[in-house]
Amino acid sequence: MLEIRNLTKVYDDGTVALKNVSFTVAEGEFLIIIGLSGSGKSTLLRCINRLIDPTEGEILWNGVDIVKLEGDDLRKARRKIGMIFQHFNLIKRSSVLNNVLAGRLGYTSSKQSLFGRFSKKDIERAYKSMERLGITDQAKKRADELSGGQQQRVGIARALMQEPELILADEPVASLDPVLAHSILHRLETLNKEDNLTIICSLHYLDLVQKYSTRVIGLSYGEIVYEGSQKDIQAMTDEQFKEIYGEEAIRVGGGLEGDLTQVEGGAA
Amino acid sequence: MNNKKPKGSYMIEEERKPSMVSPIVAAILSAIVPGLGQILARAYKRGIVLFASFITIAGLLIWRVIATAKYDVGFFNKLTKSFRLEPMILILVILVFILWIWTISDAYKHAAQEDHITLGVLFLVIVIFFFLGWQIGGIAPAELISNIPDSAPLLGQVLWPWDAAIHYPKEIVTTAIEIQIPCTDELPVSEIPDEGSYISADPLCGELAELGGQPGSSIQIHGYGLIPNLETELWWKDQLSNDFRQRQGGEYITVITDENGDFEIEIFMPYALIPAGHLAQGYVIWEFQTRQIASVGEWTYSDELKLTTEKMIETIFIGMMATFFGIILAIPVSFLAARNLMSANGFTIAIYYFVRTILNIIRSIEPLIWALIFVIVVGLGPFAGIMALTVHSIAALGKLYSESIESIDSGQIEAIQATGANWVQTVMFAVVPQIIPPFVSFTIYRWDINIRMSTIVGMVGGGGIGFLLVQWIRLFEYRAAGLAVWFITVTVALLDYVSAEIRKNYV
Ligand SMILES: Nc1ncnc2c1ncn2[C@@H]1O[C@H](COP(=O)(O)OP(=O)(O)OP(=O)(O)O)[C@@H](O)[C@H]1O
Ligand SMILES: [Mg+2]
Repeated sequence: MLEIRNLTKVYDDGTVALKNVSFTVAEGEFLIIIGLSGSGKSTLLRCINRLIDPTEGEILWNGVDIVKLEGDDLRKARRKIGMIFQHFNLIKRSSVLNNVLAGRLGYTSSKQSLFGRFSKKDIERAYKSMERLGITDQAKKRADELSGGQQQRVGIARALMQEPELILADEPVASLDPVLAHSILHRLETLNKEDNLTIICSLHYLDLVQKYSTRVIGLSYGEIVYEGSQKDIQAMTDEQFKEIYGEEAIRVGGGLEGDLTQVEGGAA
Repeated sequence: MNNKKPKGSYMIEEERKPSMVSPIVAAILSAIVPGLGQILARAYKRGIVLFASFITIAGLLIWRVIATAKYDVGFFNKLTKSFRLEPMILILVILVFILWIWTISDAYKHAAQEDHITLGVLFLVIVIFFFLGWQIGGIAPAELISNIPDSAPLLGQVLWPWDAAIHYPKEIVTTAIEIQIPCTDELPVSEIPDEGSYISADPLCGELAELGGQPGSSIQIHGYGLIPNLETELWWKDQLSNDFRQRQGGEYITVITDENGDFEIEIFMPYALIPAGHLAQGYVIWEFQTRQIASVGEWTYSDELKLTTEKMIETIFIGMMATFFGIILAIPVSFLAARNLMSANGFTIAIYYFVRTILNIIRSIEPLIWALIFVIVVGLGPFAGIMALTVHSIAALGKLYSESIESIDSGQIEAIQATGANWVQTVMFAVVPQIIPPFVSFTIYRWDINIRMSTIVGMVGGGGIGFLLVQWIRLFEYRAAGLAVWFITVTVALLDYVSAEIRKNYV
């Protein structure tokens, strides 16, 4: 479904963020990317939907090279790729509903957008998507009035509005506490399993990686230094994890899985 | 000097570089050219500062002497005259002399490498500049107090100008009786009206006074039913309709009516302007008049008040229109001046720097100067004021707007772009919501400034109340000027409050 070939990114200041990175992602995978801060995780994810233009290489998405796309074609590809951010990146002064609706912009004409209009269908879709994430009650609130966990769920609802085939999540839980981290990743897992959404997610915590990933890629200084299946990951000890990851690796803390439903009820 | 030593340490340093000249030579050189001795003693900075100060002080002092004693011939005469007119100049000359001596001894000490050299001589330079400034600035604190008796009434007019706001319509009410000159057998008949006021005279004729000859004959005048309790002027109107006031003993005389409007007075006939001998009929008829200045009808608002109100409204609208135009033009400009939007390639970066530079230049020129420019281009009037403030607003708002664009969160833009939104959608959804609050805040702030400035640009012909104020001050119409001052103060204070409230509640 997604094939990355020899991807290289050199920033204008000469920083080599990605070096000849190649890997493939099959449909329905929950691929987790780990790596030290500065290893190039964000750069890699942003190259896939072309928020960053790669310097070299190909990104084949259903047989089409995203790197070569321009204008409308690029936007059409983008709208099938949802993105979730560490800092949520919601429009802070707009309502939750408007934020969710923004996920529909790729399907809306400029004219309508000028007046901030969306079709009835899109509004229905937005409510469905908010319902799925348990934030319907917050629909009229301003986005920055919400808690961190709620904001990230708005972010996911927004991505869902795109009817994506792939979701890129750049450290989606790094600004959340451990309980909420599990809650959010659990949501993504549900989407991955129920909707057969492919997910590429960068993470820092070994227990989260072990629990949610179907495959793991380790980045170091812009190069892939580790590739492992779910089995490999389950077998991995903290020491091994630290080896590829560095000292920063930590566990969020186990034993929370059992309480998840309770946590979500409380957060909603 | 050793570079590693701390700054300023040369004053106490023991191994200074030796002076190039002996102390005596340094002193003599500094006596001829102040500072030269220090320079040759390797106190370069001190020498240069002393030299430059001396040249400047001498130049300014000579100018002041010449300007003070303009009409005297010969420099010495000018000098002594200026000492008398401006004692400060004498003090300055003495101080400069002390400075000269001090500079000489300073040069000697430097060349002799003495240890304790202070900055006192430089301090004296500052003192001299202070006194020069005092003299040039015409500073006279005593005038603040000595002028109070003269200025207090005028200031009072400015501070409490409301007499000028109201106007009572006045009219001159005249009552007349005919007097025949000289007396003949057929006297005019005076009829007593049934109602209203009238005058009676006894007799109804008289002889005019002759220059250097006999005095005028006396007539007993009675007035009835005039406006009561009012000062009443007495006038004559001769056969050629010339008006002149009755004098008695060289002074104009007036009577004051009693509570019934009556009065009584004995008058003496005035001098004839035309010799009586030329009279064709043998006599002429003059009219004797009483004139009273009476208020008629209700008071109305004065023309000054009306004009002030009109011009105040004009001023507010000058500020408002300038703000409108400023906003409309500043928005597109601000996009060009926002670094984050313009860093795509070399060409856009060039545009960014160009626009930024232009904005900075425009902003550094005061609205007052812009007003002068536009008065020349479009002539006196509000349009010139609007143009001046518009131009300045574009530059000021353009800068503030572009800075708020620069500070927007790029994460929000990325998130919207990632949904497949196009440029227009990204601007509408990610940029506009972020910049509207600062834009509104800056705009209200600018509106406030523009209304204040519109009175200022008015003073140089940019329309509005400023022009009026300047005119009234030049015409010494302090009451009217006071009205304008009151209007401006109240309006500005009000707008200040309103704009602060809006900004507080909105942002
Ligand atoms: N816009 C940029 N210009 C220049 N260098 C950049 C830019 N963005 C990132 N880099 C550099 O590229 C390298 C990879 O950065 P990237 O943000 O992809 O790392 P990361 O793995 O996401 O790190 P983190 O875990 O801290 O988010 C780093 O060395 C970073 O300093
Ligand atoms: Mg990152």
